Amino acid sequence: MLAPSRLAPLAFRVERLTVDYERGTSPLQDLDLEIRAGEITCILGESGCGKTTLLKTLGGFLIGRDTGGVLFQGRYLAAPTSDVVMIFQENNLFPWLNVRANVGFGLRFQLGSRKQQRQAVDRILDLVGLDHAASKYPHQLSGGMRQRVAIARALVTEPQVLLLDEPFSALDISLRRRMHALMQSLWEQTRKTMVMVTHNVEEAIQLGHRVIVLGGSPARVLIDKNCNFTAIKDRYGPEFLSLQREIEDMIYEGADEE
Amino acid sequence: MLSVGMFVGLWEVSGQLGAGTLASVLPPPSKFLRGVIESDFKIGLGSQAASVWESVLATFLRVFAGMTVAFVAAILTGALLSLSRVATWSLSPLLHLLAPIAPIAWIPTAIVVFGISNLTAIFIVFMGVYFILTLATLAEIRRVPPEFSIVAGNLGATPLQRWIFVVLPAVLPGVFALLRSNFLAAWMAVLVAEMVGLRDGLGAIIMMGRNLFNNELILFGMLVIGVSGFAVDKVLGLIAKRMLWWRI
Repeated sequence: MLAPSRLAPLAFRVERLTVDYERGTSPLQDLDLEIRAGEITCILGESGCGKTTLLKTLGGFLIGRDTGGVLFQGRYLAAPTSDVVMIFQENNLFPWLNVRANVGFGLRFQLGSRKQQRQAVDRILDLVGLDHAASKYPHQLSGGMRQRVAIARALVTEPQVLLLDEPFSALDISLRRRMHALMQSLWEQTRKTMVMVTHNVEEAIQLGHRVIVLGGSPARVLIDKNCNFTAIKDRYGPEFLSLQREIEDMIYEGADEE
Repeated sequence: MLSVGMFVGLWEVSGQLGAGTLASVLPPPSKFLRGVIESDFKIGLGSQAASVWESVLATFLRVFAGMTVAFVAAILTGALLSLSRVATWSLSPLLHLLAPIAPIAWIPTAIVVFGISNLTAIFIVFMGVYFILTLATLAEIRRVPPEFSIVAGNLGATPLQRWIFVVLPAVLPGVFALLRSNFLAAWMAVLVAEMVGLRDGLGAIIMMGRNLFNNELILFGMLVIGVSGFAVDKVLGLIAKRMLWWRI
């Protein structure tokens, strides 16, 4: 895997971000964070620590409920943009559309001829290995296939950033490992900025170029580690295991404070 | 199938065996069907006689027109209410107030306003299903996963496009299922309207039978009503299965 430069431009700069929900809870208070472009950043943390909230603010979905700010490519984010596309754990696909129509959904709001759009959809289905399932409907697909369709749909409109909210949590281990390989190869081919929230420490170290652990209430950055070197990608190597232990200890300590 | 066959068989046998009043009030199928077949499926006296199919068609048109208008109107109202909080505040008490008024209760007013016409029947069907479907649309809209809307907006859909391409298809199956289960209410409302006001349709056959002391005609009317209602329900079920099969 080629390393993105340490001087890679920033995709997001989060400045003193505070998010208030209606019932008076504030999962995030005065959080500062930077996310570099062209990297896979994995965000870990115990349940309810504000990971998903952070992801939603990066997508601009909580505009009006947040103060402070999120700068995307140097500009304050004022609304959701098709440059930053979010993928959820479930309910990504429209059940009344087949795979091809689901993937092409975003294209119908864009310029471009039918033929071009069809070609774009074909290309991306090929990329995620679903060309054989183009005319199937979501209920006919496995969970892993559904997430691949969601990823394909997010990529087809050529966004700058993918936000992934526990995209593989509902999958079993072998399927999840295959999805990791797919994500890796997608990143190598597209070099998109990806921000992924996950519960799974192993997944974060395996996939992330950088791993961030959030914790505490309100959430702050507990660990911020560069994982972008070959040695750490060995699942049973000492570097991997020691980071995994460090992160797990940190998350459980955080849980004990409650 | 078997149960229907046994029911008809029992009825036939008891009609043949039992003599006198019972058989004349409840003539067995062989008897009242023969009467209708002999008159070439025409119902009525002399030159006024009209084919029974015309009655079936008249009733069907009324039910379908009323249900279609109510379906479309309910979806549009639901859209309006879900998009505008002001509309919800001002209209939803009215909806809850008008919903429990039985469609049959509208018949006298409708006849005064629209006269004895198809419009009256359509209006009554409309009143019978519109309010319940509007409430159903609102409930279905609340059930749409929040992810759908975010995904669509994220991929560049404007609020209107989000409504047309996401919310609408997401709620259609649920609202249609309720339309189907409320079909019986609409059906009854039209039959009553035809019995008390309108001069044609399936309900009118029963009334004509009553006025002529013709029990065979009454039973034949009931049979046609039963069979057609059953058929319509099957058609609606087929539409639900073939065209609106998804679940959210």
